[in-house]
Amino acid sequence: MPHIPQETEVPRQRPNEIPHNEKLLSLKYESLDYDNSENQLFLEEERRINHAAFRTVEIKRWVICAMIGILTGLVACFIDIVVENLAGLKYRVVKDNIDKFTAKGGLSFSLLLWATLNASVVMVGSLIVAFIEPVAAGSGIPQIKCYLNGVKIPHVVRLKGLCYKCPSVPYQAVPTGGLASSMSCPLPSLLFQIFEYFRRDTEKRDFVSAGAAAGVSAAFGAPVGGVLFSLEEGASFWNQFLTWRIFFASMISTFTLNSVLSVYHGNAWDLSSPGLINFGRFDSEKMGYTIQEIPIFIFMGVVGGILGALFNALNYWLTMFRIRYIHRPCLQVVEAMLVAAVTATVGFVMIYCSRDCQPIQGSSVAYPLQLFCADGEYNSMATAFFNTPEKSVVNLFHDPPGSYNPMTLGMFTLMYFFLACWTYGLTVSAGVFIPSLLIGAAWGRLFGISLAYLTKGSIWADPGKYALMGAAAQLGGIVRMTLSLTVIMMEATGNVTYGFPIMLVLMTAKIVGDYFVEGLYDMHIQLQSVPFLHWEAPVTSHSLTAREVMSTPVTCLRRIERVGTVVDILSDTSSNHNGFPVVESNPDATQVAGLRGLILRSQLIVLLKHKVFVERTNLNLVQRRLKLKDFRDAYPRFPPIQSIHVSQDERECMIDLSEFMNPSPYTVPQVMARAPSAQLPWDQGGLGGQVMARAPSAQLPWDQGGLGGQVMARAPSAQLPWDQGGLGGQVMARDPSAQLPWDQGGLGGQVMARDPSAQLPRDQGGLEGWLGVLQPPEPCSALQEASLPRVFKLFRALGLRHLVVVDNRNEVSPCSLCPSSLGSSRGQGHAVPRLCVPTWGCTLSLSWQVVGMVTRKDLARYRLGKEGLEELSLAQT
Amino acid sequence: MAPPWCLCWALLPALALALLGLAAAAGPRQTPALELAEELAEELWSAGLPGDLPELEPECRSLLAAFAEGSAALTGCLGRRARPVRLCQGCHGHYRRLLAQYDSIARAVGNSSESHNCAKSILTSDRLQIVVTLSEFFNETWEAANCANCLKNSSEGLSNSTEEFLDLFNKSLTCFEHNLQGQVTDLSPNNYTEVCKNCNETYTRLNDLYNHLQRMNRQGGESAHSAHLCIDVEDAMNITRKLWSRTFNCSLPCSDTVPVIAVSSFILFLPIVFYLSSFLHSKQKKRILILPKRIQSNANLVNIQEKYS
Repeated sequence: MPHIPQETEVPRQRPNEIPHNEKLLSLKYESLDYDNSENQLFLEEERRINHAAFRTVEIKRWVICAMIGILTGLVACFIDIVVENLAGLKYRVVKDNIDKFTAKGGLSFSLLLWATLNASVVMVGSLIVAFIEPVAAGSGIPQIKCYLNGVKIPHVVRLKGLCYKCPSVPYQAVPTGGLASSMSCPLPSLLFQIFEYFRRDTEKRDFVSAGAAAGVSAAFGAPVGGVLFSLEEGASFWNQFLTWRIFFASMISTFTLNSVLSVYHGNAWDLSSPGLINFGRFDSEKMGYTIQEIPIFIFMGVVGGILGALFNALNYWLTMFRIRYIHRPCLQVVEAMLVAAVTATVGFVMIYCSRDCQPIQGSSVAYPLQLFCADGEYNSMATAFFNTPEKSVVNLFHDPPGSYNPMTLGMFTLMYFFLACWTYGLTVSAGVFIPSLLIGAAWGRLFGISLAYLTKGSIWADPGKYALMGAAAQLGGIVRMTLSLTVIMMEATGNVTYGFPIMLVLMTAKIVGDYFVEGLYDMHIQLQSVPFLHWEAPVTSHSLTAREVMSTPVTCLRRIERVGTVVDILSDTSSNHNGFPVVESNPDATQVAGLRGLILRSQLIVLLKHKVFVERTNLNLVQRRLKLKDFRDAYPRFPPIQSIHVSQDERECMIDLSEFMNPSPYTVPQVMARAPSAQLPWDQGGLGGQVMARAPSAQLPWDQGGLGGQVMARAPSAQLPWDQGGLGGQVMARDPSAQLPWDQGGLGGQVMARDPSAQLPRDQGGLEGWLGVLQPPEPCSALQEASLPRVFKLFRALGLRHLVVVDNRNEVSPCSLCPSSLGSSRGQGHAVPRLCVPTWGCTLSLSWQVVGMVTRKDLARYRLGKEGLEELSLAQT
Repeated sequence: MAPPWCLCWALLPALALALLGLAAAAGPRQTPALELAEELAEELWSAGLPGDLPELEPECRSLLAAFAEGSAALTGCLGRRARPVRLCQGCHGHYRRLLAQYDSIARAVGNSSESHNCAKSILTSDRLQIVVTLSEFFNETWEAANCANCLKNSSEGLSNSTEEFLDLFNKSLTCFEHNLQGQVTDLSPNNYTEVCKNCNETYTRLNDLYNHLQRMNRQGGESAHSAHLCIDVEDAMNITRKLWSRTFNCSLPCSDTVPVIAVSSFILFLPIVFYLSSFLHSKQKKRILILPKRIQSNANLVNIQEKYS
């Protein structure tokens, strides 16, 4: 049992400037608020909107999903067409130039031309990313993953991001193919302009998941894979209706893409032409597999895992170097250009040195480059480089056996591996999907060729199958996706029977890869110091308690607060808080009073902007009452505090927050029993436990085996037998010796027994446990608290942004402070965190004193590292 | 159940071979094709069953005989012109005639009696349907060879561009022959410089014309099939190219290696310079640690501060 020191220790002297490393959490990321603020305005609006209106809201959700699908499809189409044409133009120019100089001599000019062309094209894309929209860098999947986890990445889901990402992707046609998947996610924000009801983080998150699914489904022609991608990589919050809606969106997006592309390719209304990246049809008759091949596939999975881990490890060092040293935008642009030029050079040198000539057969090669080959033949290395990666992948899958020279393939794999590794993480919108598929397909095919060579061309002759498995293994080894990738590959190849070997391959690749390093996306999220919450709290963190985790002291606002104070608190740059607990307006400022609610910075800003001050209301200066719409209109870009002008007179006004705050914020208790003789042995982790708190003699045996419960027993003489909806239970609180045996086996409940005879059973539906044992004020000695995993679970499952840690303390609260409006406006299942005590007059009343606040960063700090539990430090980035 | 044409496929090569064999056997005598046709006609007569069963009308019989004769002639022509490929030039007459014969069978509604029409009795009255199979085989061969591409639209004679190409082709072959005459004795691969020098002009013209034809064809054609030129032209070009590149070794030498190496090593050197200089000169980005407002506990965590102090 940890001993909590009475006063905080003086922090040891530490360097406050350190080089960037992976064990940091950036302060620049905020959390999204997936929990609805059930304030007065919200309840009023809910009362006003009738049942039929809610039905239209549901219909609107479907309409939005359809629109997301359609827009995603159109965007994907646009990208596809532009990439195809731009890449075609580039390859034609370079090819013509090389053809010209082959005869005349002076191929070094062609090399220069190619390198410059590459570099200048990348420069445009990189300039856009580096100077205008940094979020557009990379594949976008890590960002979307963070967003769906609940981290607010600035600009990631904004239309502006899409607008810049769109044109910058095609410029990456050079080294790596851009992937459209992540690009569609900003689309919902466009739609929010139209449907203002959905301007909430919760709704937005759902639509962003739909956008992610639609993007993947358009990119690979894999609607189910898209939904599963969204489920696996993104959505931390999921339900069945959402699944169906997201599936709808991704289907729509696939078929929008198909129909538009079919029009573009001249056969209008043929809906069966597949997605952007189509792996071609694998004929299961010709390319079947037998049981003997399964071990071979698994072995390929192992190779993929090792290569993927190598890729990630290399990229890790590179990214670290980039963050530390190449942080200025102009340097980033230069780096991107250099990479592009080197890519061209490597390609050229390989083509130049290659003596692998293949006869031209028909027109299967789009840009045959002869170079020093005999007339009528082409340089086969050149086809590998003179092609968009998507096409190269398809060629590797489907070209007949014997069309690739093993030597060429090997060199190509090697070079492309390092180039792709080098490219990922540049400030360009280039992803990792297609390059890793290409690397995998290349070594897979090489593997297949050598296998056929070793077995003297038996049934396993077709190397295309192995190319597919290699691609799956490599991609799986890099990004460590399992379920969604299996389904995407299955759908993209149109062959269900390959599902089993692909699954095996991906599984092996993930297991082997995880043994070495983590997945590329997770790695980049970590390197960006994003406070990312995984599914579970670190396993060994049960000894940590809310008290150790929380931030304290907390900046609180009083229920009726002076405007000047609010403005000062908000403008204080050193403590850039976003949520403020609202406490009772206690005239005695020295004592921190009980928790009444929680208000967000954004709400305060709207209030200040509309000047909702008590004095103005009294003078009837305010034309109308503030509605929820006013808050929605400001979403999601609330103005900074600096832009709001508050005059000197106004600073003296008061602002009443009780209408706007969230009156029932989630809290965890910091259980404290104060007594000369406090005894609190209990078991909180197991299936049952007993609490005995006596002060002077309180007895609280209870069972907390359910998912949560909240118990408060108070004195002087309360008797509370009750049944709490679940399996039944009894609470007996007696004063001066309260006894509370009960059973709280239900799904959750919260019980308050208050003085002298108050009953507040409440159901909070959530997962949290809430304990409070209140005793007369005494010198405090905390004995036990909610553990980190519990706090974590509560935070993660509910998508919270702030979690208030409370302590219970008696306080003198006059009855007049209990606003009757709160009690009356409340629906079922919402409890007031305090009660008036009519019998005692102004008397002791229970209140929860705010002792700390748990935010996302406080929880994300703890991570399971190599040597056990690690704590990350916060840093300004 | 295999569809009937599968069977036909299996039969075809055998049939063609048999016909060829017959043609070869009849070799030295006068006009082998004619004789063969007579033979076939006799066989047809003798194969006829005694009169009680309804048999082929005399008209149909003669149509069939003509078809048999035509197909034999075409097969012979194709076989003889297989290498070097001269199919389209040599056999288009035969092919056209055979098409006409087949048409007349297919269209000939028995003019004497309505019950016996030739199309029915010849084409569809048995499982094998040898006439249909034969005609399909010829059509497909013709399609695969893409002969339509080098014939005139009415398929009478070669088109102008083809004529021009073949002309140039012959010219370059003559040129090769001329220049080689002096060096027949010495066949070491490096001694063809004379040929390369003298015939370069003709060869380049030929090559250019071929590329031009190919480009024209690709632009005009819609489907993938018409991407090919006709087989005669392709084969002629292939032969010339092989002679030129392989036998005479006239293709371009791997030149200017030095500048390429210089330029590429320069470009490859740039990133090293870039990374080194940014490592040395760029100020390393420092993160400012924020002290969390937190109750300090002596929980036995790995303390990150200690690591970096």
